[in-house]
Amino acid sequence: MKAGIEIHQQLDSRCKLFCGCSAAMQEKEPAAVIVRKQHPVASELGAVDAAAQYEYLRNRSFHYQIFKGEDCLVETDEEPPHALNAEALQIALEIAMLLNCEIPAEINVMRKTITDGSNTGAFQRTMVIGTDGWMKYGGKKIQIKQVCLEEDSAAIVRDENGNGKEPAETENGKATYRLNRLGVPLVEITTGILERFAPEQLQEIAFMIGITCRSTEKVKHGIGSIRQDMNVSVRNGPRVEIKGVQELGMLAKVVEKEAARQLELLKSGKKVEHETRGANLDGSTRFMRPMPGAARMYPETDVPPVVPDEKWLKELEKKLPEPWTDKLERFKRKLKLPSDLAVQVVGSEYLDLFERIMKKHWKINATVVAVVFTSTLKDIARKKIDVKKLDEKHFFAIFAGLERKKLVKEAIPDLLVNFVSAPDETIAESLRKLNLTMMRPKELKATIAQLVKDSPGMAREKLYGIAMGRVRGRADPQDVLKLVKRMKK
Amino acid sequence: MYSPEIEVQLKKKGVQVGGRVRITKGRHAYEGILMPRIGLGDRNCIVLKLENGYNLSIRYAKGVELKKLAGGARIRHRPAEVTEAKDPDKPTVAVLGCGGTIASRVDYTTGAVFPSFSPGDMLASFPELKEIANIKGRKLFDLFSEDMHPNHWQAIAAEVAKEIKAKSDGVVLMHGTDTMHYTAAALSFMLQNPPVPIVMVGSQRSSDRGSSDNAMNLACGTLVAAKSDIAEVGICMHGTTADDYCLFHQGTKVRKLHTSRRDAFRSVNAKPFAKIWYENRNIEILRDDYRKRGHGGRLALDDKLNPRVGFLYAHPGTEPKYVESLANFFDGVVVAATGLGHVSTNPKGDAVARSIVPALKSLITSGIPVVFVPQTIYGRINLNVYEAGRILEGIGVIGNGCDWTPEAALVKLMWVLGHTKDPKKVRELMLQNVAGELTERTEPDTFLI
Repeated sequence: MKAGIEIHQQLDSRCKLFCGCSAAMQEKEPAAVIVRKQHPVASELGAVDAAAQYEYLRNRSFHYQIFKGEDCLVETDEEPPHALNAEALQIALEIAMLLNCEIPAEINVMRKTITDGSNTGAFQRTMVIGTDGWMKYGGKKIQIKQVCLEEDSAAIVRDENGNGKEPAETENGKATYRLNRLGVPLVEITTGILERFAPEQLQEIAFMIGITCRSTEKVKHGIGSIRQDMNVSVRNGPRVEIKGVQELGMLAKVVEKEAARQLELLKSGKKVEHETRGANLDGSTRFMRPMPGAARMYPETDVPPVVPDEKWLKELEKKLPEPWTDKLERFKRKLKLPSDLAVQVVGSEYLDLFERIMKKHWKINATVVAVVFTSTLKDIARKKIDVKKLDEKHFFAIFAGLERKKLVKEAIPDLLVNFVSAPDETIAESLRKLNLTMMRPKELKATIAQLVKDSPGMAREKLYGIAMGRVRGRADPQDVLKLVKRMKK
Repeated sequence: MYSPEIEVQLKKKGVQVGGRVRITKGRHAYEGILMPRIGLGDRNCIVLKLENGYNLSIRYAKGVELKKLAGGARIRHRPAEVTEAKDPDKPTVAVLGCGGTIASRVDYTTGAVFPSFSPGDMLASFPELKEIANIKGRKLFDLFSEDMHPNHWQAIAAEVAKEIKAKSDGVVLMHGTDTMHYTAAALSFMLQNPPVPIVMVGSQRSSDRGSSDNAMNLACGTLVAAKSDIAEVGICMHGTTADDYCLFHQGTKVRKLHTSRRDAFRSVNAKPFAKIWYENRNIEILRDDYRKRGHGGRLALDDKLNPRVGFLYAHPGTEPKYVESLANFFDGVVVAATGLGHVSTNPKGDAVARSIVPALKSLITSGIPVVFVPQTIYGRINLNVYEAGRILEGIGVIGNGCDWTPEAALVKLMWVLGHTKDPKKVRELMLQNVAGELTERTEPDTFLI
């Protein structure tokens, strides 16, 4: 099987790629709706293709919702683009450099024709900002063919059934788009052809590319901020492009199912078509359209070519942040985090806080801290408790207490829950309130002794269980175990 | 143009623009089609179109090697081979190109955009036109409209007259939007009593894009030319930012009021003739005071013009000597005055203010008519209300009571001076409504519509 990965990651610049609108996409209600039509432009493809496109577009109307502060005349295609966003370019170049790319001498902005209405201008502005890169993976070098900086398209407003259909499939020819996503800067990272990798490995590679982007700390988080497309072909057959694998966790499954689908076709003597398919929520794929020919691109003459200053590029390279792929290695090697916990931490929004806590309280077991920021917080959030209300001072207080043996790790979940509703309490107050103050050694000894005395026939394991039930959160389980062993012969 | 160094290399290796080439730089190799250098940027960078469509720039330096490869594409325009038979049941519309690319074709192999003009190209680009009328398309010239000279207006008028003589049911003129309203005014004066609609159209968004307003403007304009009974010169462009309807504006009562919006053209001090709904092709008449098709009168071409007329845009601090010097260049001066038609007259004798009344008087005395127009664009000149106005009326400026647009007045003065130099006659002709540029009444709902 041969595969290729294409990642689209939204950048967290303040403004959009070609205008001063906010790239936050926070507004909920549209301020207005504009209705437009589009038409095909004659090209060298000739009359037949144009006629087909003409018929397709003549009955379509595109309804664009515009949002205050997030859409201007550039998005409504009523004004030429402004200068290329320097902040976005810098973030994109950092990513290209982290992926060891060559930076072109001149950056040429191109127009890529789009005919589904997802761009008011009927084209997407896109530019190559890095070529010939690579990324380390399992002792090999993964080829990064190209890194591009481009505008995101308008987001389609799904019909009520949310069945994820493309605009072409909506019934009355009307497609509605949210225009505030249009123009948000994206990097598109394309790998070379990846051969002899298992689907799980491909998923990991995609993950690593994602965290390399996140190393800049200037990319967006959350649903829709990163999208994956895959190319899969089996037995040197035609390439099938799979668009829109929304969740990274589904990637391996999608690749597996697609490879299986192709093999099945070949087995039953049918042909695998060179086509574009969409990823479904269950990992299967559906036909979307025949593979278009070479991308329909021509120069964006409204934006002059950008020539990055060589000195500035060198400075940028010097100031590159530590790639998070290296952080991963460090967490596994130095902090002794188990591999999947390390991955979770690097992928977590608490990464920076985790590192700062480990720097200050380096004597604590890193795994304990990592578990808090990953599983513990997730469990609490699942109970509909707003963990976002927690401040870093709470975490520092808890881990300081842990380090000074003022509390045990079993107390941490309750402490966190408490801090959400009582953020200004000190840790001592909270421990007292929740009855989680560490038992003094004498007190613990006495409690265990009493327990052993009261239950003469009980086995050690059961005694331990009951003891833990009584002192949970107030004593180290290891100490309890030691005492039980010592006192129960 | 590439740098001389690169040109030498290209010649040496026999590589031409449009040909395939491999470029090696250190341990990197790139293959693609050599692109022309488009003006801006570093001439020392070679631009390659990669297989995936992107243009990649590679700085030429020592150690960069070029190798010619087989294949490539010559960058040239191949007009579409479409021949349409004439439909006897449909009207015939002559579409004349004066510039502004309303139609383009894109060659994606090379990225080149070609302006498109043959009837075959037009119908390939806009198949919906053949549902409206038989189209006879030809190019007059290919000018950015800011490069137009009044002599071009004369050429256009003559060609329109020719098409009308050849029994076209309507004429559509494709024109750049920047000075479209000047040409529209000129044609309104020069083509007297047209028997058919003469419709100017353009596009605010370049026509290489599928989102361009060209298709709708051309379709609606063609519809007006073919089917409406409005035998007037006018401009047909988007009415709103959406693709819902176009407006057909009177040629002497319209102006471009935004640098870039689709709906930049607005009627001034008047309502447009009609709304043309794109989807259902309905022509909704908005006012009925227009010359109707089939009125029986004959077209007269009166294209005499004296282009030596210029604008003075009055502002605080206008230099009187500069105003006087206009006599060296112009046979007529149009003053864009503030408010109701004012310039500095300094009736209170302020120490710092500098009246330009003596300067204007010197122009008038030397036989150069001075015409006042509103800098506010909308509204009517009235020189009776304030002292400044009365002073100006007293020295003989022309314009009291006029609600013309600055551009229509400029064009009219050129046209009038093409006929006579006699100050009395000039005044009389300027103040007489010729082509709708002057109205007696202003409807309340004609401001910023």
